[in-house]
Amino acid sequence: MNKEKVIIKTLIDNNRMSTQELLQLINEKIKEGYTDFDIEACGQHNIGGSSWAKDRNDILTFKITNPGQRVGAMALAHTKIIVEGSAPADVGWLNSGAKIVVNGDCGDTAAHCAAGGKIYVSGRVGTRSGALMKHDPKFDLPEFWVLKNTGSFGFEFMGGGIAVICGWDCDKLDSVLGSRSCVGMVGGTIYVRGPIKNIAPSVYVRSLEDSDIEFLKNGMVDFLKELNKSDLYDSLTKWEEWKKIVPLPNKKNDKISVKEFREKYWIENGIFGDFIKDDFKVFPLPASGEGRIHIPHWNSTNCVDCKICLNNCPQEAITTGNKVYSVLDDKCIGCGICEAVCPKGCWTIISERKEIM
Amino acid sequence: METVNINQLHLDDLPWIIEYDETKCIQCGKCTAACSFGAIKPVVEKRRKLSGGLTKPSFEKVLVIKQQISFEHHCRGCGMCSRVCPNGAIRAIRNTDDRYSVRYRAAKAESLKKGGRSNLNTEGRTLDKIKIGRISQMTDPSLDAARHKFELLTPFGRVLSADKLNLHFENGKMGVQKQLPPNRWIYPILMGDMSIGAISWRMWEAMAIATAYLNEVAGIPVRMCTGEGGIPVRLLKSKYVKYMILQIASGHFGWNRIIQAMPDMIEDPAGILIKIGQGAKPGDGGLLMASKVAKYVQEIRGVPKADLLSPPTHQGLYSIEESVQKMFLSMNAAFNFKVPVAIKVAASVTSVSVYNNLLRDPYNIVGGFFIDGLAGGTGAAHEISLDHTGHPITSKLRDCYLAAVHQGRQGEIPLFAGGGLGQTGSFAADAFKLICLGANGVFTGRLLLEIAGCIGNVTGKCNACNTGLCPAGIATQDVCLTKRLDIDKAAQNIVNYFIATDMELKKLMGPVGNSTLPIGRSDALITVDKHISNRLDIQYVC
Amino acid sequence: MCRIGAIKSKKYLHPSIALKLMRSQQKGHDNSGFAFVMQDLGGIFGAYKNLPILSMAATVEGTRRAEDILHDLGFTRVLQWAPEIHNEKGLKIEPMPNYIFEAFQYPKSHKYATDEEKEELLVDTGLLLRSELEKDNLGYMYSFWPDVLTLKEIGSPKDIGTYFGLWEENEELCAKVITAQCRQNTNYDIVRYAAHPFFLDGYTILANGENTFFEKNRDYQRSLYKGYIGFESDSQCFLYTLHYINKLLKWPVQYFKHTITPLAFEEILERPDKDILLRIKASLSHLEINGPNTILGVLPDSQMLCVCDSKKLRPVVIGQTDETVIMTSEVTGLNDVLADRDCSKDIYPDEKETVIVTNDLTVERWKQ
Repeated sequence: MNKEKVIIKTLIDNNRMSTQELLQLINEKIKEGYTDFDIEACGQHNIGGSSWAKDRNDILTFKITNPGQRVGAMALAHTKIIVEGSAPADVGWLNSGAKIVVNGDCGDTAAHCAAGGKIYVSGRVGTRSGALMKHDPKFDLPEFWVLKNTGSFGFEFMGGGIAVICGWDCDKLDSVLGSRSCVGMVGGTIYVRGPIKNIAPSVYVRSLEDSDIEFLKNGMVDFLKELNKSDLYDSLTKWEEWKKIVPLPNKKNDKISVKEFREKYWIENGIFGDFIKDDFKVFPLPASGEGRIHIPHWNSTNCVDCKICLNNCPQEAITTGNKVYSVLDDKCIGCGICEAVCPKGCWTIISERKEIM
Repeated sequence: METVNINQLHLDDLPWIIEYDETKCIQCGKCTAACSFGAIKPVVEKRRKLSGGLTKPSFEKVLVIKQQISFEHHCRGCGMCSRVCPNGAIRAIRNTDDRYSVRYRAAKAESLKKGGRSNLNTEGRTLDKIKIGRISQMTDPSLDAARHKFELLTPFGRVLSADKLNLHFENGKMGVQKQLPPNRWIYPILMGDMSIGAISWRMWEAMAIATAYLNEVAGIPVRMCTGEGGIPVRLLKSKYVKYMILQIASGHFGWNRIIQAMPDMIEDPAGILIKIGQGAKPGDGGLLMASKVAKYVQEIRGVPKADLLSPPTHQGLYSIEESVQKMFLSMNAAFNFKVPVAIKVAASVTSVSVYNNLLRDPYNIVGGFFIDGLAGGTGAAHEISLDHTGHPITSKLRDCYLAAVHQGRQGEIPLFAGGGLGQTGSFAADAFKLICLGANGVFTGRLLLEIAGCIGNVTGKCNACNTGLCPAGIATQDVCLTKRLDIDKAAQNIVNYFIATDMELKKLMGPVGNSTLPIGRSDALITVDKHISNRLDIQYVC
Repeated sequence: MCRIGAIKSKKYLHPSIALKLMRSQQKGHDNSGFAFVMQDLGGIFGAYKNLPILSMAATVEGTRRAEDILHDLGFTRVLQWAPEIHNEKGLKIEPMPNYIFEAFQYPKSHKYATDEEKEELLVDTGLLLRSELEKDNLGYMYSFWPDVLTLKEIGSPKDIGTYFGLWEENEELCAKVITAQCRQNTNYDIVRYAAHPFFLDGYTILANGENTFFEKNRDYQRSLYKGYIGFESDSQCFLYTLHYINKLLKWPVQYFKHTITPLAFEEILERPDKDILLRIKASLSHLEINGPNTILGVLPDSQMLCVCDSKKLRPVVIGQTDETVIMTSEVTGLNDVLADRDCSKDIYPDEKETVIVTNDLTVERWKQ
């Protein structure tokens, strides 16, 4: 291990080192055994990410001013990144284990897809921060600590991990989570201190439990220490000021049925109730009784009492006594077989259309 | 011996032939009991048994199901028989050698009538040749249909250009100086436009219930148009009338009752639609066959039991100026200029001229332009009109939109398009494409019937709406048939379909990156058809 | 993606500050061009504040033709200035033959004209010059307006800076308001007119984003005003909408936001001014934008403006000192040119805000 600090200035006169040049230079130095970097950046991306020390047990340390986007992107454990001042978008993108401390604000989508490590921010973070944070059970939970507030649309599609939004110095805000946060959140926990509004309807806002307080107490000490703001500990640990947000389990469709709507809220007896007494019962197919569209009629003139109709009626809907045949209306479906089989033409099927009265 | 005359109607002349498997039939009689057309009947057939040699041949009697051969009782292919058959012994098969329409005219000296829809869809569907091709990727992120927030609302009513709003600025606030034309934000899909009479009371009420439910429970602010047959007074005087668009067609049916009820109404209706024409039979008035003019229909409409023919045009409207000044003014005045008044015309070569004129209307009383394309449905029409008149909706809608663009007045009179939408399964796709081509919204009637249980289709299945014998209880006034329709299920199906369509619209809005309706975003559309590309001014792709 | 910046200061600043502001944001743009508009000019143009300045890049023939047109209209040239060209080897730039920055005296016919009449004359003249130059591909007319100077070029911003000698500060060329962008609009052709900032009738706009409602916007704008032309970039729509709302309709500038990103219905319905907002939403639905955008602008009175799309998809941050306020895409730019500011006062505008920087550098934040 080379204990010597590597100091890199990326802007000399008007010539700016490109991201590729800078990252390759850093990696060369790491290969040579250096672990400690001081980088005066000029907007170069991805500083501090996807690197590991020559000796895997050593800690890589990056102190950075004015980094570009994705500082600490894809960073691994055994990496510590300290940003002096504010950083633009995507701080700690896909963080997989590093500790990233930003002494300033972060732009949009901070901690996007973070799956491990800790991201500490001493100021604010922008819109869509914490989106898609996740937790792989084989590794430690990702943590995302923000001293002040987040922009809108935060924690969209969050799947795991913990975010802590401390709401410090946010007295003038009506929401420390902006607007429409937690849309599509399915996992993880957000602890928040201060007002929130317009949060997605698919999450719960609840009071802290003892285990939550235990976690926050311990975490807060390290968070504030790294920010050099340990004096805020007492102000930020009044637990009654905190809430936690967790996703609701998938809700089932709780809408009433149309039938229930009709029975409870619709115009009584229906909108045609002035004309029609409709019980809204449904006739089966085919229907017997009053639901028949074809109705058999018996005429005695030629009847020889042969019982062919009676015996062939599939519904057993014909009865006889004293050479008089009649139909059991509640059984008859109006199929017309009686008419068809009668050798004497005693049965006639009438198919009249019936209007409602 | 019975002989056959060559001029007699024969089974082979009919459009549908019953295929019957005697070996599977258990003679339960359900098929004949269910057939509302009387197209099948049980009969006893005499069969000859071959002699074994020692005796003379013998005869046996067999009970079978037999198709009726007559103009009155021919099979419509509705398939009720196969639905009720427990053994799959019977079904209707399309006769590809059908000569029915020739035979009918030759025998009856009458124009052939039918209901349903055109069965001559020879031109294919333009909308199916269009895809949504501009997908947000790198530069303009897509949205998530299930989780992002979308606004599916469109203005209904006259929209004034910003310079005519006369907004003035005073003490840090903008104010309106004068009364502006009524304007409502509604869901971009309207339902209905089918009259009481043409469809059964249960079907009509199911649509009304579905509309109320969608608004009050599902949060989808759909509006329903009454059709030209009036509206029940009980609905008129209820709070739900605010979801109803009252139609007035050339027959003016039911309007006396509406007028009588006005003092007792607790809500304004959603709008008024002046129906000039309908896409399925343009240039023809409404037609309600006497068989469907039930007692209550007679009452609401103020007519006796007879074939009801609405005139093809409104008496008293003999020019566009006339229609704007007289009809629009009267209908606006009816509800004290608080309710949007729109007009529905059949798509036609002349639609653009009409729309141009309306756009220039100085009184700002035209609140919407509904164009109905040829693939729409109808309760009853002469087949010749249904199959051979009309204009496809897509290019006409586009023409109207571009005419408005040319005048710099797009959106001022909202455009609504209809006519055969959802025919190939996805109503949302048709709606979305028409919206991208410039429609503020779309409307549908026939599709609702199919959702509720209509078993007809565009290739001639059933389409017997004109007979009053609708086997599904939809296009009939017969008690027994109507009661086949489960009002709750019909309404629930419509509700479900709209909820699914709402999600599907979002599934199309998401990929193009829009959270509000992409009205006029033709840049989102592509087509593999060069002619469609040229005609609609959308990108040609291959 | 574009990177944009808008600088407003109490003191005159040299355009090198714009180059430095954009330098660290290089990964966010594609180095394909550099353009800036300077307003409220000092230096050599400071003495001609009320006279229109022509900013143009043209061939020799184009220059001659433009001068003929102006001469025929009665304009008389009172000042001619051209940047000193440093044509070093290997610079990535596609220069035009001539860069023209000239101040003109109004025609005699307009000696006693009202401001409106003069503005009308300048818009018409600008449009005429543009169309004449376009006919034979003779060059580009960027602005013809008092106290406004525009330069646009294709190439690497750093090399463009070197070519025009913009890295070296001098007192000749300076202004209190500078808006700048790095990148040509490569979604479409590389066209100088497609480069932000865009200028029309006193209004300047530059944007970072994608206007998904471009076709809708354009189709509607074409018939609204003679100056709504070009559409080489989908962001020109924002300029035209701002101009339409504020200049033609005479609505307060807050309504720009209500027009391009109208509130959701549920939010509108809770407001006392819901009737107005619903009407605006209906009447100007074709000017809505629905894609990702951060828009910076300068109003005719030199106030600066910033609005974002309703989903706040594109970055922007505003930093300030007592002397200077800067709006730009990424905080790295502020860290470079306003290193000594109080970072905790940085403003990250949200999806509902309109930020206005007044002429005394007060930063006002209006909630939609």
